[in-house]
Amino acid sequence: MRDGTGVFPSSSPLKHPRPTSGIRTTRKLTFSALACCLALVATPLHAATVAPGAPDSPETGGILRITAENSGGTLDPQISYVHITYQMEAIVYDGLTTFAKTPSKLSSHAIPDLAEALPEPQDGGRTYVFHLRHGIRFSNGKEVTPDDVVASMQRIFKVNSPTAGPYYSHIVGGEACLKDAEHCTLAGGVEADDKAWTVTFHLTHPDAEFFDRLAFQHASILPADTPTHDTGNEAPLGTGPYKIVSYEPNSGLKMERNPYFRQWDAVAQPAGYPDEIHYSFGLDPEAAVTAIENNQYDWMLESVPLDRQAEVGARFSDRVKLIDQLVIFYAALNVNQPPFNDVRVRQALNYALNRKAVVIYNGGPAVSSAACQMLPTGAPGYEPGCAYTKGASPEHLAPEWKEHDLALAKKLVEESGTKGQKVVIVTPGSGGSGAIANEIRATLVDLGYVASVRPITPVIEFSYIQNSDNKMQIGLTGWSADYPSASSFLRTLFSCATFIPHSSNSINASQFCDPKLDALMDKAAEVSLTDQKAGDALWAEASRALMAQAPAVPLDQTRRVALTSSRVHGTFDTPIYEAVFSQVKLRRAGDPP
Amino acid sequence: MLKALLQRFGQTAFVLFGISVLVFLVFFATPGADPTSRIAGKNASPETIAKVRQEYGFDHPLPVQYATMMKKLFITQDLTSYANRGEKVVPELIKAAPVTLSLATGGAVIWVVVSILMGTVAAAFRGTWIDRTLMAIGLVGISIPVFWLGQVANLITQARYHDTWLFSWVPALGYVPFAESPIGWFKALIIPWCTLAVLFIGVYARVLRSDLVTVSGEDFMRTARAKGLTPTRVLLVHGLRTSMITFVSLFGMDFAQLIGGGALLTEVVFGLQGVGRLTYQALSALDLPLIMASVMYSAVFVVLANALVDVIYIFLDPRVRDGR
Repeated sequence: MRDGTGVFPSSSPLKHPRPTSGIRTTRKLTFSALACCLALVATPLHAATVAPGAPDSPETGGILRITAENSGGTLDPQISYVHITYQMEAIVYDGLTTFAKTPSKLSSHAIPDLAEALPEPQDGGRTYVFHLRHGIRFSNGKEVTPDDVVASMQRIFKVNSPTAGPYYSHIVGGEACLKDAEHCTLAGGVEADDKAWTVTFHLTHPDAEFFDRLAFQHASILPADTPTHDTGNEAPLGTGPYKIVSYEPNSGLKMERNPYFRQWDAVAQPAGYPDEIHYSFGLDPEAAVTAIENNQYDWMLESVPLDRQAEVGARFSDRVKLIDQLVIFYAALNVNQPPFNDVRVRQALNYALNRKAVVIYNGGPAVSSAACQMLPTGAPGYEPGCAYTKGASPEHLAPEWKEHDLALAKKLVEESGTKGQKVVIVTPGSGGSGAIANEIRATLVDLGYVASVRPITPVIEFSYIQNSDNKMQIGLTGWSADYPSASSFLRTLFSCATFIPHSSNSINASQFCDPKLDALMDKAAEVSLTDQKAGDALWAEASRALMAQAPAVPLDQTRRVALTSSRVHGTFDTPIYEAVFSQVKLRRAGDPP
Repeated sequence: MLKALLQRFGQTAFVLFGISVLVFLVFFATPGADPTSRIAGKNASPETIAKVRQEYGFDHPLPVQYATMMKKLFITQDLTSYANRGEKVVPELIKAAPVTLSLATGGAVIWVVVSILMGTVAAAFRGTWIDRTLMAIGLVGISIPVFWLGQVANLITQARYHDTWLFSWVPALGYVPFAESPIGWFKALIIPWCTLAVLFIGVYARVLRSDLVTVSGEDFMRTARAKGLTPTRVLLVHGLRTSMITFVSLFGMDFAQLIGGGALLTEVVFGLQGVGRLTYQALSALDLPLIMASVMYSAVFVVLANALVDVIYIFLDPRVRDGR
């Protein structure tokens, strides 16, 4: 899970001189003539000075200034796994496939990028032959070859990429590479053909999400001679419209145009408008909001903090963007710990929790919506339906969450005979999580339990709840997928494979394992290979089956609240990357708002 | 001399060793602090987890892990962060040091000059309304928490009155390197300097005033007055020099602590990417290598400052020089 200053560049060719009214007529004439000459010169000059690979548009140019609280650590695209690097590297690196970098649906799947097209599956979905595009160059001018693709796939294992196991180990030879990364060859798994200019992948089993996995940044195509260790603060060469020219994790990062970039697909990797992109690290989100209000920066990485949302909404409504995202906040209920080892108790808490309060704690209905299932709205396979609201049940779903049902919840608790037991809620000790944890505590008290809240520093809270030896009862957390798929929510968080007893890395915090549900999810994945619609229907069925057993309490789904400076315009927000910075257009002084 | 130097060096080494062991053990005693899964990434396969454990040496006994960390910190200087994989902490610290040095030095100049002025004027006008007013102002300064004052300064200069003629010159929060723009550097730091200095001005002015008042009754002051020197000369040349001993001791410790990252809150409030902010970041992310590096760095400065203060004593107080 992934989880500058206010001046325009002096080289801007679009600054037209304006005659001053107080100047004498003769001077005015001279000045006007000069201005006309300059204007005439300026037009061809603009065309002539457009950087290689940049769109020939009056909106091309300028420095985009972004602020973020912290950097994202390593720049190695095959290792970095945080939102900030995912976003910045989207315009530096390409994979064989990618996600659209222009507006698209939340559920959009991968599209071809360095590959000419998405290949037809062969051998029952076990073989894919990708035809590489010709003439695409890294930022040092070297052409991308099939060998670079093979080396990049091997490098995923050699550098111990976080997703080497879950995403790429089903490539033939992948399991061997996991065990002995140093000597990874992926022999028989990835084959280059320089004559046909193709790369062939062989999988051990069919995978409906293979193109999506190749679109994830860990499958970025890098030069074959890229060191096979974490490059840390040095960014490997990429093929996108920008290259990273300097990076200091404690202060900032600068990107400039990749001189060898030529747009090959306007959706997969569009040419970039700003000449440069500067990141500054160090401002907390509160200070960042003020800085953007003052036009000292153009964009901030973090969402506008809750306490500033009313202010920016009232004063800068034209500069606020609300971006839908595939994220779900939930309370994991440990099905192996009492009282939640009783399905009635899990259902009772789902009925009893007032999600209206949760929505308010997370910023109100404009930015948060009550969740009824573990698939967020808009995800592939999502079908509306609420099992735990007044008048509904897992067998008879309501279209949406309306009201909590305390009476039914109390009845279920009575039946379970668990009243009076102690329950500890583990929560990240920051932001709105504490308030939501207290809401759950109050609900549990209403149901007859002795409940308390244990806040843990956010940085280790997730590690704590995914340690299967910690005997956690309820843990608050959130999950956003690396790419849009039902599987990355349902399978990742609730399959038997992701519950690892006695492990500090058991992502299935609910410790939920149901072979029947696993079989249904396997079937959904298999059907999705050939029939996406039928596959999605099966994922929706799996989501309902999961909620019938209630191993978690879905809380809400939030939207990202973004604030821009007054000089930013254009459409650059997408559900996967939130913002594609190459598509930001910058107004210059004098441009109409 | 050599013996004294060796002794000082031995003390420094001992202090650093003690601190490093303590920080190391506290980290590993913290529940949930095992960094392996954080480094490996969410949902990493057990094989990847095992590789990371081996690569980072977490499968070795604690003393071996400690020795490896110290070697990477002091000898090979390639210690990498546990929170941001690939981030080397020593270069980070070296890059952050000039920011902290700029902040602490500028703040120190302000607080030294202003507190000497305030303390001396208050002592010269002892018991009058001037004395009382200056000391009250100092007390207010001591009472204001620096993070609150910084936020208020930001609210005024960055938000509420930023567009007025008075504060439109104030740049965005953050640091501008001196080499890039000396004027930008000055503009970016002037408000943090003043904010940082406020607390110290109050403390130092009160200490200096009290020392000046105490020495005014000493024999050497009486002698100076009996020789017919002007009250101003007696106060500034004879009184102030002697009274500066406590002032300098305090300054040595405070300045060293600030250089070592003690201006953490000021750095965080003003978005200055110095050692203090780095420490704050390390603590928030429970990042042992970064915590270890910044604590070691801070400890070195505190020990060095103690040594420096001892030397300055010799110049200020003849009794120390003569071994009396």
